[in-house]
Amino acid sequence: MSVRRRSLERAHAPASPPEPALDPRQPFALTLKNGRGAVVLHALNPAARAAGLRRGQGQADALAMLPHLACQPADPAADDRALEALAIWAERWSPSVSLDPSPNGLEGLFLDVTGAGHLFGGERALLAQIRERLAEAGIAARAAAAPTPGGAWALARWSDPDGPAPVVGQERLRERLAELPLAALRLDAAALAQARRFGLKRIGDLYAMPRAGLARRFRGTGGVELVRRLDQALGYEGEALTPVRSPPRYRAWQAFAEPLGDLAGVEARLPELVDDLAAALERDGQGARSLTLTGFRTDGGTTSLAIRTGRPGREPSVWLRLFREAGLGRLELGFGIDALMLAAELVEPVLARQTALHDEAARQAEGLAALVDRLSARLGEDRVLAPEQVDSWIPERAERWRPALAGSPAPLEGDPGRRPILLFDPPEPVDAIAELPDGAPARFTWRRLSRRVIRADGPERLSPEWWRPAGDRRTVRTRDYYRVEDEAGGRYWLFREGLYGREYGGGEGERAPSWWMHGVLP
Amino acid sequence: MTPSPFASPERFPEAAAPLEEACAPLPRDIGAALAFALSRRPVADARPVLLALTRAWLGEYGRPFASGLAGPPPILVGATTPAEVLWALEQGLRSGAVSLAVGAVGDATLAQSRRLEFAARHGGAVGVTLSRGLEGLSAARRRWRVSTLTSAGDRDDARAPGLARLGVELVRGRGERPGTWILEQDDETHRLRLADRLAGVRPAAIAGTGARAGLAA
Repeated sequence: MSVRRRSLERAHAPASPPEPALDPRQPFALTLKNGRGAVVLHALNPAARAAGLRRGQGQADALAMLPHLACQPADPAADDRALEALAIWAERWSPSVSLDPSPNGLEGLFLDVTGAGHLFGGERALLAQIRERLAEAGIAARAAAAPTPGGAWALARWSDPDGPAPVVGQERLRERLAELPLAALRLDAAALAQARRFGLKRIGDLYAMPRAGLARRFRGTGGVELVRRLDQALGYEGEALTPVRSPPRYRAWQAFAEPLGDLAGVEARLPELVDDLAAALERDGQGARSLTLTGFRTDGGTTSLAIRTGRPGREPSVWLRLFREAGLGRLELGFGIDALMLAAELVEPVLARQTALHDEAARQAEGLAALVDRLSARLGEDRVLAPEQVDSWIPERAERWRPALAGSPAPLEGDPGRRPILLFDPPEPVDAIAELPDGAPARFTWRRLSRRVIRADGPERLSPEWWRPAGDRRTVRTRDYYRVEDEAGGRYWLFREGLYGREYGGGEGERAPSWWMHGVLP
Repeated sequence: MTPSPFASPERFPEAAAPLEEACAPLPRDIGAALAFALSRRPVADARPVLLALTRAWLGEYGRPFASGLAGPPPILVGATTPAEVLWALEQGLRSGAVSLAVGAVGDATLAQSRRLEFAARHGGAVGVTLSRGLEGLSAARRRWRVSTLTSAGDRDDARAPGLARLGVELVRGRGERPGTWILEQDDETHRLRLADRLAGVRPAAIAGTGARAGLAA
């Protein structure tokens, strides 16, 4: 199935008040620079097309034909984003929705509706619903259903836009495609021009041609491509589609006759959805680690809210609490949503932990996981952290804080007496005076306060990780760490970056060794 | 332990109350206050520790370095506002999943600190709030002023800094007399304990901790 979008999103964007593009009778086009730097027409409205303009035509040429043609630069990236948003919205009809991958084709969606038709009262009813919903959202679309993506692509584009959407089965596919022009095979311009020279006009003309000969004659203009496209359209060769989001294995679904306009409505429906999903997971002995609640808006957009848990679970009350914690208010309902979907993306088997529940340690771990889930849902995953040691001996790199959701904290190999309790990352520059160039500091100024060192211990030498160049491309140098104590009782972890003699000879352009404050000891 | 001339005659309250407050009057005392707060974890309690700090705090005083912390690795909450810190502390204390929750709450009101105390009682945990001053009202059972002291020096190397040493002053305790104690980090367990080697401490160094009150007592 393919849905073709003809609307020009950009044309609806608010611009200066007298907007010719909003009047469908005025010819209007979006322009784009092509590979050779020339400005060409990228998309046209029906009036412009009726005037004889076509896609890919130079803008100067088009303006010569139609001086009152209104043009605006196209924004392909925004188009892609809009189409992707629409693809997610279309997940209401199928869990597997992909963007049209053919070049120049970024205006279509493929929905894999295998086995989904009966949910909507048959494939004809499904297509009618798709067209109706898209029209309500202000998107002009064509739709067709066929056994192959290529077939659906062709039928959607070359069928009567005002008649019922075509639904073609495998047995009539070959016959229906035969009468369509070759362009319906998703070919590039060069191959089409070549075909015109050979007198091939319709797809049916190709049926009788020997395949090897076809491939040979179209060599250089994508002969193999022509045969492949033909086979894909007819179903002789499979075609892989990449869904915009991988289809979740578990999802619960509710559609409403009247759109929900407020959060209270969503909150009232949520428990039922959560129960449905939990029941499905329970049946298979699975638990979810991440859930996404998606609301399908009537205006063709979607809004979603995700929660994650540290361990797989299927407790409806916990999910409900996490969704409230994460803030149902973040859902943007717009003019109302007419369907809600709850999908479990990350699913893992839940082991029966009945026996382990008696174990004190296991019970504590459960409690901690639940706490981390709640904190993360409200504050964000990247704000609830657990320490992790990394294979590095540069202190600020050797230990990092990672999201606690990824797993409970592992015991660390620490050295509490000799390591700071608070670390400055990045280290802060310090003005220090040492009695000997390579000795401990006697006095240093940090944060505008001058401090006299009464005791110092060191150096503890950390060699540079020479295999990891510094970000600013300066050479990485040795660090000599000192634990120092000032006369006020403050204990600090200072280091000198660079060694006198070996790494600094006092030459022109060399950086003198410098002092840094790296941490505070208790 | 023999009473030292500088310490208060009162016994040091080893067991922590449900909610305590550790005040670091000067920026250089922050490390000491954090170490003291972490030491209020009951020794036998194996549950993890929750640290809730604001981003501003982390930017000003540095990030906790787990390799330098005694005890089990903590869960760190990097909050944006003191209100979020309060919420995280309350959740942590109430859940019963943590043994100790330490947070920089800024100027918490009496009602807010009372909520924390209820949560700590409910979860059987200890809460310690970090503050910069002791002016406001608080429901904390004990309010401490913590300051860092010069160490006694290393046993083997007189020029090297010794074990962490800090002075703690109980400014207000419900049903307890105020007092001043000097705590030192144990070189094996890394927990804070009452200092017994006081020969190296000059009275001037602990004057700032309010130890004079102890002297007079």
